[in-house]
Amino acid sequence: MHAVELDNVTKRYGSHVAVNNLSLRVPTGSVYGFIGPNGSGKTTSLRMIMAILYPNQGDIRVLGESVGTHAAADDRVGYLPEERGLYRNLTVRETLKFHANLKGHQKCNGDIDFWLGRMDLKDWADKKIQALSKGMSQKVQIMAAIIARPELIILDEPFTGLDPVNTDLLRDVVLDLRRNGTTVILSTHDMNVAERMCDALFMIFKGNKVLDGSMDDIQADYGRDTLHVRLDGHDSPLDTIDGVVGVTDFGRYQEVRIAPDADTQAILAKLMQLGRVEHFELAKPSLHDIFVRIAGPDGAAAMDQTVRDSGVSHE
Amino acid sequence: MNKVFVVAMREYLSAVKSKAFIITIVAMPILMGGGIFVQTIAEKGKDTRDRKVAVIDRTGILYDALAESVAFRNEYAIFEQPKEGEKVDDADEQQSKDDGQDPTEEQPVKPPKVPRQVESRFILERVTPDNGDEMDLVFTLSERVRRGELFAFVDISEDVINVGADGQKASIEYYSNVLTYNALPRWLKGATVTAIREHRIRAAGLDPHKLNLIVGVPEVEFLDLVSRDQETGEITAADKVNREARMAGPLVMCMLMFLVIMVSATPLMQSTMEEKTQRIAEVVLSAITPFQWLLGKLIGMVGVSLTIVVVYFSGAAIYVLTQTEAWQYVPVNMVGWFALYQVLSILMFGALFIAVGSACTDHREAQSAVMPVMILIVLPMMFWGAAIQEPNGALATWLSFFPPATPILMLTRQALPPGVPAWQPFVAALLTLITTVAFIWAAGRIFRVGILAQGKGAGLKDMAKWLISG
Repeated sequence: MHAVELDNVTKRYGSHVAVNNLSLRVPTGSVYGFIGPNGSGKTTSLRMIMAILYPNQGDIRVLGESVGTHAAADDRVGYLPEERGLYRNLTVRETLKFHANLKGHQKCNGDIDFWLGRMDLKDWADKKIQALSKGMSQKVQIMAAIIARPELIILDEPFTGLDPVNTDLLRDVVLDLRRNGTTVILSTHDMNVAERMCDALFMIFKGNKVLDGSMDDIQADYGRDTLHVRLDGHDSPLDTIDGVVGVTDFGRYQEVRIAPDADTQAILAKLMQLGRVEHFELAKPSLHDIFVRIAGPDGAAAMDQTVRDSGVSHE
Repeated sequence: MNKVFVVAMREYLSAVKSKAFIITIVAMPILMGGGIFVQTIAEKGKDTRDRKVAVIDRTGILYDALAESVAFRNEYAIFEQPKEGEKVDDADEQQSKDDGQDPTEEQPVKPPKVPRQVESRFILERVTPDNGDEMDLVFTLSERVRRGELFAFVDISEDVINVGADGQKASIEYYSNVLTYNALPRWLKGATVTAIREHRIRAAGLDPHKLNLIVGVPEVEFLDLVSRDQETGEITAADKVNREARMAGPLVMCMLMFLVIMVSATPLMQSTMEEKTQRIAEVVLSAITPFQWLLGKLIGMVGVSLTIVVVYFSGAAIYVLTQTEAWQYVPVNMVGWFALYQVLSILMFGALFIAVGSACTDHREAQSAVMPVMILIVLPMMFWGAAIQEPNGALATWLSFFPPATPILMLTRQALPPGVPAWQPFVAALLTLITTVAFIWAAGRIFRVGILAQGKGAGLKDMAKWLISG
């Protein structure tokens, strides 16, 4: 059972192809991550699922119903857009009531009180939006998206601008929603969040789908080709070592990408010659690393080549 | 439909709860009364101190007549007019005062109520020209004006008595340091003219009574048409018509219509711009279609406009109920048409304002983009005078079929006797309805694209593109 199904969806703005022949299945009850660099077609895809934009080609089904070309999104779908704002002269309670009513949820006072408590905004219920801090109004926006008890909720960059406490709070809320059977689509630039929270991931790059599946599936595709290394008192470049393809320096440790046929023992030996090895771990590539491989300068060039050669999406 | 209502309610409440709305609803009567209110206040605060004026009468015969006229004026013409009875036209009033005719013709002061003084008394002082230095005399008097002992002084030359004869020109020289004060020179002119005229009549040996018989002018009195009573078969007498009062009904209705459009339709541009620039649009569009949203906003504003009208109509109704005479001037039969035209206006212009608001990203852009819409709204007001003069003239008739002008011009024509052919309002209203639907449709297409478009604002060209390609 899929909450969202996209089949061969293409969206063009003039001659620019924002989303190219995209097919996608979001399993019901999952937390599904949308990742991709800025301007790669994430928001366009989400807007099409929300029936705010209509595709030039392809079919979109949300919660089993086909998204027509002249209808608003289903009331069972909640949406927190990346571009979000609130009426500044409404109070928090009025705002929530407005959004609940707009989604056809009339008797919403109980829900409003529940969420105000959950989000720690009870004292602010009757304050106007314009009196709220940025973080607080973001929490109100999140509440507005979920107040009408949606079956599917789409959160576009929900964590941006939240402090760690509120980030944890929102994460708990999302996980609670999933526990209650809600499907959550989450777009984020924070790869740690995506990696830890999402049951499945989808990455779009230059309008094409480049990743799709569970974290395990994705990592399996890339194999165990990564070393996490911490060397003490040495900063000679590691990429001179045989079998090392690339190095990402995180400051306190390095993520070393190795060739598929590289001998890890030989690499360890070489490292021990270079300095004192404090940490050495053979690991699957992190999502961050995968993201950079695809969307970094090298990946982008390869992608352009692929698109030019085939005219079809790269997978 | 329910969602449209949710949007409408928000739009309505946000408008009527705003300070701007409350201020406007208070300020509108002031504007509508054409400043009558302000005038009354100004009248009350008027300076009614005595104005002393020195008169150098070189004719030797006018001063006495002026003194007589001023004495009459100071006794009868500087007080508030009693309210009952028809208000005398300003010009006539002035004339009769100046003429210095029989005081009994004027509204006498009625005890026990002492009328309030609303004009200054004028105190004359005769200055005899001694045969000394002319400039010296004028200088001395000027100094007295500067010191505040005199308000002004006048020098009436000898030639004044022969003015008009053989192309003779002459003037009364009026010296003052407050040249903007009108009442004194106006009275002076009138009184001098009267005095000269009487002097000449006497000099010619004519009987003033006979002369009045010759130059007396009748008034034109305006009457309704006479009709036959259906039951008794008697022909009823015609009613006298107060033309000013008869025009007041249509005038007030049109001003109200115009102001209601300005007050309730223009905020739609602001609110749409807010939704666009504050990025409220996308969330709302995740629940409703752009067209539902547009419709909700329009309905909300129709509600606002009806609120304003109800407030004013109730105010007016209370006033009218206390003034039974005023009933005849209330175009009660027009209320239905007024409501129809008003709703259509708000929808028609509101849609345009929303389209403009959705295309603009800041107020500067909006100001220039909104000009064409404003011109459409103001257009009927420019031809309103013509419509009053000739309600069934070609210009007024044709323009009243131009939908953006229909609400104001057709209403005016309908409200003015003898009215318009019965088919005209229906055809015009139908045309307006069709235009309104077309405007809403077009605005919907522009709104749909514009409300989500960020970056620089769209010009007319972009709007046209959105309109065509969606």
